[in-house]
Order: sequence, then C-alpha cells, then structure tokens
Amino acid sequence: MSQSANIQTKTQQTVNTAARRMNRIKATVEGYLYLAPTLIVLTIFVFVPVITSFTLSLNRIAPFGGRQIFVGLDNYTRLLTDPLYWQSFKVTMIFILGTVPTGLFLAVALAIALSYPLSHLKGLHRLLIFVPVVISSAVAGVLFRWLYHPVVGYINYWLSLFGIEGPNWLASADWALTAVILATIWKEFGFNVIIALAGVQNIDESYYDAAKVDGANLWHRIRHITLPLLSPTLFFLLIINIIHSFESFAQIHVLTQGGPGQATTTLVYSIFEDAFVGTPQRGYASAQAYLLALMVIAMSYIQFAGLGKRVHYQ
Amino acid sequence: MAADVEIKRSKFNIKLIDLLMQLFLLGTGFIVAFPIIIAFFTSFKIPQEVITYPPRLLPETWSFNNYVTAWNATPFDRYLLNSFIQSGVITIGQVVFSILAAYAFAVLQFPGRNLLFYVILGSLMIPFELIFIPNFQLVTDLGWANTYAGLTVPFLASAFGVFMLRQFFLTVPKDLHDAALIDGASNWRYLWQILVPLSKGSIGAFAIFAFLSAWNQYLWPLVITDSTEMRTIQIGIRFFMENVERQTDWGAVMAGTIIAMLPTLIAFLLAQKQLVQGIAMTGLKG
Repeated sequence: MSQSANIQTKTQQTVNTAARRMNRIKATVEGYLYLAPTLIVLTIFVFVPVITSFTLSLNRIAPFGGRQIFVGLDNYTRLLTDPLYWQSFKVTMIFILGTVPTGLFLAVALAIALSYPLSHLKGLHRLLIFVPVVISSAVAGVLFRWLYHPVVGYINYWLSLFGIEGPNWLASADWALTAVILATIWKEFGFNVIIALAGVQNIDESYYDAAKVDGANLWHRIRHITLPLLSPTLFFLLIINIIHSFESFAQIHVLTQGGPGQATTTLVYSIFEDAFVGTPQRGYASAQAYLLALMVIAMSYIQFAGLGKRVHYQ
Repeated sequence: MAADVEIKRSKFNIKLIDLLMQLFLLGTGFIVAFPIIIAFFTSFKIPQEVITYPPRLLPETWSFNNYVTAWNATPFDRYLLNSFIQSGVITIGQVVFSILAAYAFAVLQFPGRNLLFYVILGSLMIPFELIFIPNFQLVTDLGWANTYAGLTVPFLASAFGVFMLRQFFLTVPKDLHDAALIDGASNWRYLWQILVPLSKGSIGAFAIFAFLSAWNQYLWPLVITDSTEMRTIQIGIRFFMENVERQTDWGAVMAGTIIAMLPTLIAFLLAQKQLVQGIAMTGLKG
C-alpha cells in the first residue's frame, strides 16, 4: 500500500520534472522568438560589420574588380604617417574645441535664465529656444549657407551695421571652419538647453532657500549651488557633445564639402571622401573609421565610468 | 515703517527683474529661432525682395511663387514620399521589434537573458561611422542600393527602444502578468491586449524619436541612393540648393527648406512636451 503510494509519488515527480523541463524549454524558445527580430537585425547590421570593418581595414581593395589584397597593418601605418590624416585630426580637434565649450557655456547660462520663475510667456521662450532640436543638420546647413552668403546673407549685413566687413565665410580657408562651428553650435543648442534645463530644475529648492537665509546673493547661489549640483549633467553634456562633434557630417557636407582645400575636412568627412568620392579606398577608409570609433568609444566609456562615480561634490 | 518700504521695494524689484528677464529671454528666443523665422518669411518674398539691400524681415508682396518654383524645379513630392516611407517603415519596425524584445527582457524568464540584454545595450556604444562602409557593401551586394529596403532594413531594430520600453514594462506590476496567465491568456495576448495599451505614452514618445531621427538621417541615404527618384528630402534639399544656387534663387531654396522641416516642426509643435521630456530623460537627440 505504502509502497505503491511511494511509486506513485515518484512517477508523479518524474512526470513533474519532465513537464517542468518541457515548460522551461518552451519558455526559452518563446523568449528567443521575442528577441529574434531585434537580434537578427543588430547582428547583421551592427555586430558583424564591426568585424568586417576591421578585416576591411587590413585589406587593400583593388579599384577595379573589387579584389581584396591582404596588407596587414599597412593602412594604419600609412594613416599615421599621412599629413592629410593629421590635418583632419587637427581640424576635428579645433572643431570640438570650438563647438563644445562655447555651446555648453551658452546652454547652461540660458538654462539658468529659463529656470527663473516667470509669470508669463514661459512656453513661448522655451518654444523659440528649443526649436533647433528638430531641425536636421542638413536643413541647418542650407539655412546657414544662405546666412553666410557674401552678398545676400544676413550675417555680413549685421556685421556691416557695426562697420565690419565680413569675410566670404565659406570660401575662405581662414573662416570656413569657424562658420561650420557656429552653425553647429546653433544646431546643437536646443538639445543642450533642454538637458541643462532639466538638470537645473532637478536641483532641490531647499538648497536655495537655505542659501538665501544665509544671505547668499544670486551669483553665490549659482556658483556654489547650481553649478556643483549640475556637474553630473554638465559632465554628460560634455561627453555627448564631444561625441556629436566627432560625428558631425551633414552640415559640413552641405556647407563646405570639407573645403576650401582641407580646411573643414574632419575625420568623419575624410572617411566619407576616401570611401565614396572619386576612386574608393574602402580599406583605407575603414582603418580611419576604426581609429575614429576607438576615440568615440573611449568617450562613451568615460561617460559610463563617470556615471558610477557621480561627479558632483556634495 | 521701514520694513514696509523694504517690502514694497522688493516687490518692485521682483517686477522689474521679471520684466527684464522677459525681454532677455524673448530676445534670445528670437535670435535662436531667427534662421527659421527669416527662412519662413523669405520663402514668401518675390525674387527682387530676396536680394534687396538692406534686407527686410517681412515680405512687402506676399507670394506663393517660390513654393511653385521649388515644387516644379525638383521632385519634392517624390522626396517627401520617399522620406515618409523610409521614416514610417523604420519607425514601425523599431517600435514593434523593440516592444517584442523589451517584453522578453522585462517579463519572460529564460537562460541567457541578462547576457543578451548587455549585448544589445553594447550596440549603443558602436558609432555609425564604424559600420557604414561594410553595411554599404552588404546592402549593395544584396542589390538593395536605391531601394526602400536599402534605406530601411539596416535600421529596423533599436537597442535604445528596447532599453527604454523595458524600463517602462518593468514598472508594470508583475501580478498583472500572473493574473492574465491564470485567466488563460498567452504571453502574446497579454503583451498586445494589456501591456501595450498600458504603455501607450512611452511607446508614443519612442515612436516620435524614432521618426525624427529617421527623417533627419543624412549620411546613409546619401551613400545608398544615387538616383533622384530614391532621394530622401534631406538629400534632395541639398542638391536642390546646389542646383539653384547658381541662379541665386534663395527664395525657392528657403521654400524648399520650409517644406523639408515642416513635418518635424509640426511634430515639435504637437508633441513639444513629450519630446522635451524624452530628450531630458534619455539624452537622445531627435
């Protein structure tokens, strides 16, 4: 009696484990089916190309017939000794130094002003200041190409009001990069103000109240409360802006096409030119892409590492 | 008495500061939005007025001619159609695929789940410049150059969308899922009939982002299309500018830019709050 009951429980148990295993297999299959579309697309168009890009960078692709010739690290050594590469590296660094600090300073100053509790028109101010965020870099480029026009453009007209004769911005080797930088600052402005404003508004009112009781004036409050507490936001903005600047392409393609000469040829623009303009040198371009990607990934890494540490000193 | 004066003065100060801030912010706002405002007015000017010196903000004679010229000079209707198809397909793909993957990561239990989640997140670190040359070769080898497939298929999945929707799905109480399963609903039914309607807000916000970033794409459509029929509006406006520039018909170019930015401007005006919140929360560019 008790024995048969025992056997019964045992079979029950095996049946249960078998059913449980079945269920687990089912659940696994189901989970992977839900993931499949995303995984397949990302694998084919993101993960595999990371590897293909590297093998491409180790090859020279014959201009006719597309035959690949393995050349090892030749593309990389050629890059590092190519003055044109260092020129575009320099242009990129100037571009980053030109866009990021100025853009961030203006955005933070304006975010602090926007956080001021106004009685009216709050929505209108924000609308006007945020709007560049939805304008594409290509459209921004077209708008600025017109504004920079030496004859009908507004920028030189405004300068003339101050008695300054403006340069032929986009055709001048001295001014073209500045022109691209200013257009980029404008394009990124809405984005930066939105993030900075969110950071400013996240700061607890009570800090300011306490500071007011202590008799701190506006500048002290900004200097000793707003800016330190904003430092995680500032850090995020700094990194993301550097990454955006590294990757800027459309406005350059519209405004100057990398010219005049090499004046506005950044690293990304140089990749595009080597891979798609004239005789394609896709191996050489891939080597450039790899070096650029390493710089961008280093930035993302710094951001992740910094996020853990929380930059502000409280 | 003295205290009274003090209070009055501070009230006065507050009003003065308020007024100054209003003027400052309004002024700054107009400076920031100026390129768009002036493009809008210029697009309605007649050619002589576009090149008047000194330039005037408002047109004296309002004319719709620039739009007609732009529309006739280049197939803007085709560019717009292409952009709508390209952005629409990418948006639908990213939304649907992200919902599915986010559901797997947030609700389902299976081995390898966490590892795969990090793998997918890792793809966010990979810059587009690194992968676009091999993708160009692959898509060309598939015969997809100058096709909608070539414009859209590489972008049908979004690691960012998976991440964002997963975050939202995790906030929905697990009991709801258990209750639905006890009632005999399948995971599929629970997802589409309960979870998705509950997450409309997040899904909508992500859809707007997906659409904007697809609409504003430039480098990929530039390299993967070389025929006029398959150009998107962003590429179209650039080549239109180049062609028209020689005739310095900037009025028509501005009409073209207004056409190109209209859909995103409308999206911005309709969904400003969601967009701004979305950007602030995620740090993602539109």
